[in-house]
Amino acid sequence: MLLQTLVTGLSIGGIYSLMAVGYSLIFSILSFSNFAHGAVIMLGAYMGMVLAAKAHLGLGLVVIGSVVGAGILSVCNERAAYAVLRRRRAPSLYLMISAMGCSMFLENMVYATIGARFYSFPEFFKRQVIQVGGSSLSLLDLFAFVISMGAIAALHIFITRTRTGISIRAGVNDMTMCSLMGVNTDRLISIVFFLAGAFAGVAGVFLGIKYLVYPTMGWVTNKAYIAAVIGGLGSLPGAMIGGIILGVLETLVSTYVSSIMRDVFSFTALVVLLICLPNGLLGTDTEEKV
Amino acid sequence: MSGYLDVSGLHVYYGGIHALHGIDISVNRGEIVSVVGVNGAGKSTLMWSIAGALPVARGSVTLDGVRLPPRPHEIVALGISLVPERRRLFTALSVEENLIMGAIRRSDKDMAERDRERCFTLYPVLKERLRQRAGTLSGGEQQMLAIARALMSRPSLLMLDEPSLGLAPIVTESLFDTICQIRDEGMTVLLVEQNAFQALEISDRGYVMQSGEIVASGTSRELLENRLIRKAYLGE
Ligand SMILES: Nc1ncnc2c1ncn2[C@@H]1O[C@H](COP(=O)(O)OP(=O)(O)OP(=O)(O)O)[C@@H](O)[C@H]1O
Ligand SMILES: [Mg+2]
Repeated sequence: MLLQTLVTGLSIGGIYSLMAVGYSLIFSILSFSNFAHGAVIMLGAYMGMVLAAKAHLGLGLVVIGSVVGAGILSVCNERAAYAVLRRRRAPSLYLMISAMGCSMFLENMVYATIGARFYSFPEFFKRQVIQVGGSSLSLLDLFAFVISMGAIAALHIFITRTRTGISIRAGVNDMTMCSLMGVNTDRLISIVFFLAGAFAGVAGVFLGIKYLVYPTMGWVTNKAYIAAVIGGLGSLPGAMIGGIILGVLETLVSTYVSSIMRDVFSFTALVVLLICLPNGLLGTDTEEKV
Repeated sequence: MSGYLDVSGLHVYYGGIHALHGIDISVNRGEIVSVVGVNGAGKSTLMWSIAGALPVARGSVTLDGVRLPPRPHEIVALGISLVPERRRLFTALSVEENLIMGAIRRSDKDMAERDRERCFTLYPVLKERLRQRAGTLSGGEQQMLAIARALMSRPSLLMLDEPSLGLAPIVTESLFDTICQIRDEGMTVLLVEQNAFQALEISDRGYVMQSGEIVASGTSRELLENRLIRKAYLGE
């Protein structure tokens, strides 16, 4: 039972991590909370669902499709809603308000075109389990966890080893100097939004498979914001660890205490942590961003 | 006016603040030209706007007769590199990554590698500290890295904004030697300095700025010998 709960917790934690990493990436490069991130996750889930239900693709192709689709959507979101404000050097509060607007716009677009119906993914290996020492572990949960961690590890390698990745970290450190080195910062920001969107796409597909697909499913990103803050805003390892801790603790609480207490617990944990560690777990040094 | 770098009638604003009131300067190929002046004269503003980081309201900047494009990354590509005031290193990145950033738009790997070696010959200490975070270097080492980073783009025009700021006199001495050496290798240098005397001593020509305007210009010798200028601007 405990092992089973733990695996479920890890899979949810993995999904939270994916969302938190995307959100953190954007926060660290533009210093604003991208509240439209949830809407991108939601649309990523719809894209995945269409690919799975209508085009009958396998899980691998569904994830890839959703990664590309949500990535492009995220870039369009930046170009349409934030780029203009950015170029006018608007304060980050304006970007945040614009992001909230985008979120409402996208959700209502879905209501107006697709409708408020709840959709479920076709069964991938939802019910399949493997037996480990008397507990039956969901294959989907294991898969979600492995894919999430793999994606985050790949991102880490990308931002530490490649020239584009180093440019992203340089941009986080000092955007003006980054452009003075010869980096086209508009393009760099688009790349960051693509990455964040791609992670949102993976998160959306797994959320959709585990639960359901509906217009307000993106609100679950509240958890990603909590995870990112727990880990230390702007820190990628922090976002990952924060996500996993939150996912595991939540699952333990809803299994052993009560599922109604779950969200109360998350927010309480956040408040307590922020009182003890105002910068989150790994956010002590602002220079450690990304 | 037909130097290598030509700035003419340059006006720059910070919002409503009129910071540069029609600046004209020109730098010939292979020269070291100094811009001196009291605090707040607009020297850094001039450097940032040539580099493209501040929008030019009126006037023009041309390099080799070609008007500079509006965005900084396009300007670096033409061969202008700025070592800004207070260095502005990527403090969270390693020394090595800072050098990589300096050469970020280059595709000629072999030549970039050679330039890196040249930087290590100039500043051997950087080679020992490749993996160290730039923010943890000493002030002098940070200045070396800032110059090395700028050289990694293989500029034809190197702009240095108060490179001696915060350095010990002996380190400043060797910094000025390095600047001469860089010029002797064929680069053109535009230098802003608080140490106006020392700067003019290694320069071919100089400009004196005050309140966003050029108030005097000439060969370094002329400026150094002019009693009025010595009194008013060189702090004598
Ligand atoms: N970001 C800014 N916003 C508004 N005004 C600014 C800004 N930066 C500089 N200024 C103003 O523009 C003028 C020129 O500043 P600048 O930094 O170019 O002077 P400087 O000659 O480099 O001085 P210093 O020798 O102290 O470095 C000053 O009056 C300064 O107050
Ligand atoms: Mg200055």
